[in-house]
Amino acid sequence: MILAALLLMTQVAAQDPRLERLDPDTRTAVAAVVDSAHGAGLPVEPIIQRALEGATKGAPGARIVAAVRRLAVDLGTARVALGTSASAPELEAAVAALRAGAAPEVLAHLRDVRRPPLTMALSVLADLVASGVPADSAAAAVLALAPKARDADLVEFRRAVERDIALGAPPGAATSVRLNAGALDVYGANSAANNPNSPRPRSRP
Amino acid sequence: MFEREEETVERVIQHLRRPVAIDAGLDARVMREIAQTPSQGRRAWPLWPLVAAAAVLAAVLFARPWNRNATSKADTLQFVLVAPQAASVALVGDFNDWDPARAPMQTAHGVWATVVRLAPGRYRYAFLVNGVEWRADPGAPAAKDDEFGTPSSVVTVGGRGS
Repeated sequence: MILAALLLMTQVAAQDPRLERLDPDTRTAVAAVVDSAHGAGLPVEPIIQRALEGATKGAPGARIVAAVRRLAVDLGTARVALGTSASAPELEAAVAALRAGAAPEVLAHLRDVRRPPLTMALSVLADLVASGVPADSAAAAVLALAPKARDADLVEFRRAVERDIALGAPPGAATSVRLNAGALDVYGANSAANNPNSPRPRSRP
Repeated sequence: MFEREEETVERVIQHLRRPVAIDAGLDARVMREIAQTPSQGRRAWPLWPLVAAAAVLAAVLFARPWNRNATSKADTLQFVLVAPQAASVALVGDFNDWDPARAPMQTAHGVWATVVRLAPGRYRYAFLVNGVEWRADPGAPAAKDDEFGTPSSVVTVGGRGS
């Protein structure tokens, strides 16, 4: 039994050569998490990427293993909230939203009011909270916009709120003001990221 | 993988579109043969093999079901970091296995930039300056759940109307 388990772990590790960047103990533990996630039908690429991030950043093996285990658990929670038809990008964005403080019920509600993909809506929710917007306010805003807003509209909403926060507005107030003002129609002219460091699209499909 | 497949298909298309060199006397010979062939009893070539071949070719060239999702919604993003004092900057993230060797950035007067094509999804990334210093992108949302003690940022590529 133990031998079979060890063989299985070795096999999983051998399946993805990228994990060779991890030390042997960490690699074995991460491979077990990857295999478990795969068996549960969860996307494994986010788990592998999180392990590689830890390796590149020189994190201790125990911290890497803890991070990938936590991510696997959160991916499972996200799938319960969004349903089995959720895509890998949606699940990954949902994990960010959950970690930002959104309740699983918010994710389920979002799934009900917006047609897929939900990736951008979930990401905007997480990013708003990361900007200081209370999780409840961010969730309410995204849920209000979700039925009709395009992905680009959601991004512009987030940028507008962040801009207001940078200018000194309280995060919650900035969110509600932008939402109530129907800002989707008016901030197009100011939407281009003025910050030279922001990633920006070169072309749109 | 998807990019290589598309490039392969593109090469096939270019090859098929290349003009074929035809002997200058071909037309005359063909017309002579036609003129000598009695019209009665001339058997029409069955067209269905040509139609089938054309259909298969069209399916291969234009449907491309194996990469439709990966390429039609992908976005090309430019990442920029202003770091005048840096000797090297690499962009690392979920899109390149966090491998600094795969995404060195080019500089012009201290402005470091690189372009990456990303499929829809949410990606964590960071800048590695001089091989030792981690920097988040000051112009992008921060990754709130940084578990490794260094800053990271996130970028999301949408799949609809983005």
